[in-house]
Amino acid sequence: MLMADDKLHKGHAGISEHDQPGKLKRLLRFTAASWRLNLAGAMEFRFSFLLTVGSMIVNNIVWIIFWGMYFKRFPVLNGWTLQDVMMMWAAASGGFGIMSVFFGNATRLANLIATGQLDVYLAQPKPVLLNVLISRMSVSAIGDLLFAIFIFVGFGDVSPVGIVKFTAALLISGMIFIFFCVIAGCLSFWLGNTDGLSFQLFNALLVFATYPTAIFKGFGRLVLFTVIPAGFISSMPVSFIRELDLPFLYGALGMTALLCAGGILLFYRGLRRYTSGNMMGLRR
Amino acid sequence: MRKVRSIEVEQLEKIFQVKKKQAGLAGSLKSLIKPHYTGKAAVEGITFSVDQGETVAFLGPNGAGKSTTIKMLTGILHPTSGKAEVLGCCPWTERSKLAYRIGSVFGQKSQLWYHLPPLDTFELMSRIYELRREDYKKRRDNLIERFELGPYLHTPVRKLSLGERMRCEIAASLIHRPQALFLDEPTIGLDAVVKQRIRELILEMNREEGTTIFLTSHDAGDVEKLCDRAIVINHGGLVFDGRVDFMKQQFLTHKTVQLLLEDDPGHMALEGVEVLSRDGSRLTLSVDTGLTTIESVLSALMASHRIVDMTVQDPPMEDIITRMYGTFRAKEAVM
Repeated sequence: MLMADDKLHKGHAGISEHDQPGKLKRLLRFTAASWRLNLAGAMEFRFSFLLTVGSMIVNNIVWIIFWGMYFKRFPVLNGWTLQDVMMMWAAASGGFGIMSVFFGNATRLANLIATGQLDVYLAQPKPVLLNVLISRMSVSAIGDLLFAIFIFVGFGDVSPVGIVKFTAALLISGMIFIFFCVIAGCLSFWLGNTDGLSFQLFNALLVFATYPTAIFKGFGRLVLFTVIPAGFISSMPVSFIRELDLPFLYGALGMTALLCAGGILLFYRGLRRYTSGNMMGLRR
Repeated sequence: MRKVRSIEVEQLEKIFQVKKKQAGLAGSLKSLIKPHYTGKAAVEGITFSVDQGETVAFLGPNGAGKSTTIKMLTGILHPTSGKAEVLGCCPWTERSKLAYRIGSVFGQKSQLWYHLPPLDTFELMSRIYELRREDYKKRRDNLIERFELGPYLHTPVRKLSLGERMRCEIAASLIHRPQALFLDEPTIGLDAVVKQRIRELILEMNREEGTTIFLTSHDAGDVEKLCDRAIVINHGGLVFDGRVDFMKQQFLTHKTVQLLLEDDPGHMALEGVEVLSRDGSRLTLSVDTGLTTIESVLSALMASHRIVDMTVQDPPMEDIITRMYGTFRAKEAVM
């Protein structure tokens, strides 16, 4: 018969304060420490770091030039101005940047599951999903995040209200990106290696988030506000930042909450099916 | 004094669903349209218990279910059926609670940050295990001293040798002063000197802090030098559970006899005797004690030769494990 000998086991003089009050504060400290280490790891290769960040900014500027040329010839596109398109880019690249800088494993989840690389995180006493997501930082995405800020400063409303609105838009966009990718990655628990499929789904979200929602009608529009919720990111400039459209805001918040809950639920359900593996692994 | 149970396992079973596919592209297409799955039992209803402070070698050939068992005991995998308690916690339902009190080292999966010095990983570990700052610093300095990590503390892990990395790895897994340490192939790929040092360090933690050691290894030295008890599994089932000395006896079917004769014996054909090496009148024989006895071999030799010197030895642990696994395979071939 199994014997729960908890009292006897507790006699061991541990040095952890995990059973003391202040759990949330310690969780935040752990999160901050993980981000700090990711950044330190990225900066180990100084030249490569600066080059990667810089090239991503240049890459995004190319798109800005393209849209600039477009709006020079056609000043309004289905009610969208150059400023709206710029802010859409800021919301999309900022959200993507938040995901890839602070939760960099979101897009790699399918691969980590399929190749059995969750073992290290499962052996540690921290929420597994959080631990996995924050354990990697994409250096190039720092460029995307900086780009979003530059765009906001150049084209946005830099008043206190404008800053609050833009920050909220970035957070909502970031959460949509993170948990959409988590859900796409979790398919691996049930379908085997869905690395390619998960990447395609993420790519669809990213691509559609950088086109004005106004150009999509009917079924296409329905898809963008349900299955691939890019519409909630790309509509930010006109339905939230420029004018506050409450039904849109509720919809965006509802979708964010749904994706969060769905992502967390799917991940922990999926963990029961996790089969590990014998692939060698190092944390980078 | 009452013994405290550290690990208790009852009828633990893990069945993986494995997709069966015929070779080639046609097989792949067939599998895509109509996949065929079969259940493969990695662990089949094993039952055992380990007391606090014991040093246990969990042995078995490749694919026996060792790593799967360790992964279930550390909460990484959910079992198909059965029960387990580690330090009074169910590993898969109380994973987080248990993780504060156990340490794990997976020889093939590092928890060190590859591009950063080990000191940075120690710092992160202190946050993961929520260690009191002063206690952490004391513990860290103590481990650095014991494991002689001083020279590598500020060197990125990617630039460390495998042995240096493994020392850092084990130190990192001990930073929160775990009550039980699970090691999966901790000495894989290391040279003899480093292996020995790592064994000494693990043993030291066991003796001084009463840490339960539960390790899998294919290295006979790990078993012999580190463990008092061995649990052997094969094809997911338990085949031996007892003291390492007893395991030696049970699977010891041969003895090694070294002889120095007065003259060269020439061709030698004795039942149950294999000549392992010969150099003139100096011979090394392997005697199958199931077929003959040492006494009858020596009598036969003494009848025609004069023995100048003689030693009888148990074969090294390496041979015993090889023979043990060989026995399993021979039994499977017959079945």
